[in-house]
Amino acid sequence: MTTNPIIQVENVYKFFGQLTALNDVSLNISSGEKVVILGPSGSGKSTLLRSINRLEKIDKGHIIVDGQNITAPECNINTVRQELGMVFQSFNLFPHKTVLGNLVMAPMRLKKMPKEEAEAIALELLKKVGISDKAHVYPAKLSGGQQQRVAIARALAMNPKIMLFDEPTSALDPEMIGEVLDVMTSLAKEGMTMVCVTHEMGFAREVADRLVFMDHGEIIEEGTPEEFFTNPKHPRLKQFLEQIL
Amino acid sequence: MSVEKKEVRIAVTDGMLIPSGKDKNVITAWSISLIFAICSIIYLCVKNPDPYLDILKFLPDGILVTFQVTISAILLTIPIGLATGMGRLSENRIINLVASTYVEIIRGIPLLVQLFFIYYAIGEFVQLPDLTAAIIAMSVCYGAYMGEVFRAGIDAVDSGQAEAARSLGFNKTETMFMVILPQAWRTILPPVGNEFIALLKDSSLVSILAVSELLRRGREYASVTFNYFECYLMVALIYLVITLLLSKAVSIMENKLNYYDD
Repeated sequence: MTTNPIIQVENVYKFFGQLTALNDVSLNISSGEKVVILGPSGSGKSTLLRSINRLEKIDKGHIIVDGQNITAPECNINTVRQELGMVFQSFNLFPHKTVLGNLVMAPMRLKKMPKEEAEAIALELLKKVGISDKAHVYPAKLSGGQQQRVAIARALAMNPKIMLFDEPTSALDPEMIGEVLDVMTSLAKEGMTMVCVTHEMGFAREVADRLVFMDHGEIIEEGTPEEFFTNPKHPRLKQFLEQIL
Repeated sequence: MSVEKKEVRIAVTDGMLIPSGKDKNVITAWSISLIFAICSIIYLCVKNPDPYLDILKFLPDGILVTFQVTISAILLTIPIGLATGMGRLSENRIINLVASTYVEIIRGIPLLVQLFFIYYAIGEFVQLPDLTAAIIAMSVCYGAYMGEVFRAGIDAVDSGQAEAARSLGFNKTETMFMVILPQAWRTILPPVGNEFIALLKDSSLVSILAVSELLRRGREYASVTFNYFECYLMVALIYLVITLLLSKAVSIMENKLNYYDD
């Protein structure tokens, strides 16, 4: 693990009206590191993740991604976002495009990649996530698990340095969770920097280098999976783990 | 579990009943109306060629002008409506206010009054042909209604779509034109088609602006021959046939746009 952080979150605050969604949150993530963010619903974990690619605008503090201060007004967020792949709970595939169309759209438009090259990369990625036979199908024909794997491939098509996952398996039927987690695990093994918000404890234990536990908009405990599951310190974390395991 | 599909229908205006493409029945309100209208025209012309056939021969020029007004206004209305709809959704307060005020003012004034006003207001500054002035007036008015349809259609696209596009690195404009609008079209098309049909019908109002469209041609014929009843009957039947055919065209286009779901 390198020591140079690729994501720096510094003293970040986010308010939704009266509610403090993020309360003085600081977090450094190194290149190649896999961080899993845990916490009860409403703890601010999704807000934190979404702040990293500025889908949420923070109210105070700084977030620096790959050397660029994305909270600065002069920052061109569109170029930073090309380095940040994002996977959503509800997949958000473009329904008016085929699977292949979903994958080649961004590289062709944003990287000016020729169609043949973009399609070759797309097919390679579809093979990697195990659905190369569905390239010319519209997303509505796919199962949830297949859609989410396409969504991961779509994010990877931009060749990002970092992948953000926002509860990628929460909208899936139980029997489809495994296929998505398998793709994520193999991605982790390739050395991708990953930040995941998830409730999948098995995945967290196996893949994460570091776990972050949030509650009421604050990070209240950080540590390796080993420390977390065998020796949780904070009573709130103990309670959370008891309920979930 | 797949993502829930949002079924969005926007309430129809005074356009027409768009026939459903899924309805396989031969006897529908649409087909009955169309057959009734066409048979009536044929029957009247065969039974009483004088005056009905004469009227029918006199009207085509008017039909052409009606189409001219309608099609030109439609072509102008689409960009106006798109700009207004996006303006109404803009986070920029000034753009939003301009668009909203335009819609508010136009919706509060009867079309006939607007036609008079815009026609004579334009006349104060430039001398435009009657037809051009009438087309501008129709477009300004229908642009506001169309703006509301576009706004509703854009608003109905799931916000996750914009988030996904922005996350990939698309800017706001690319997101709008490559992701949001292609999907919004499906929701927008039925009410837009309805607005077009309403526009075609309301184009009869420009007859008061010395534009010789279908209704005015009928009136011209009637004022010479005093066949008022016969003239307006033919005019009504012809309008009915045109709007029925247009509504069918809209429904066919609507089906074509449904290519990507199940």
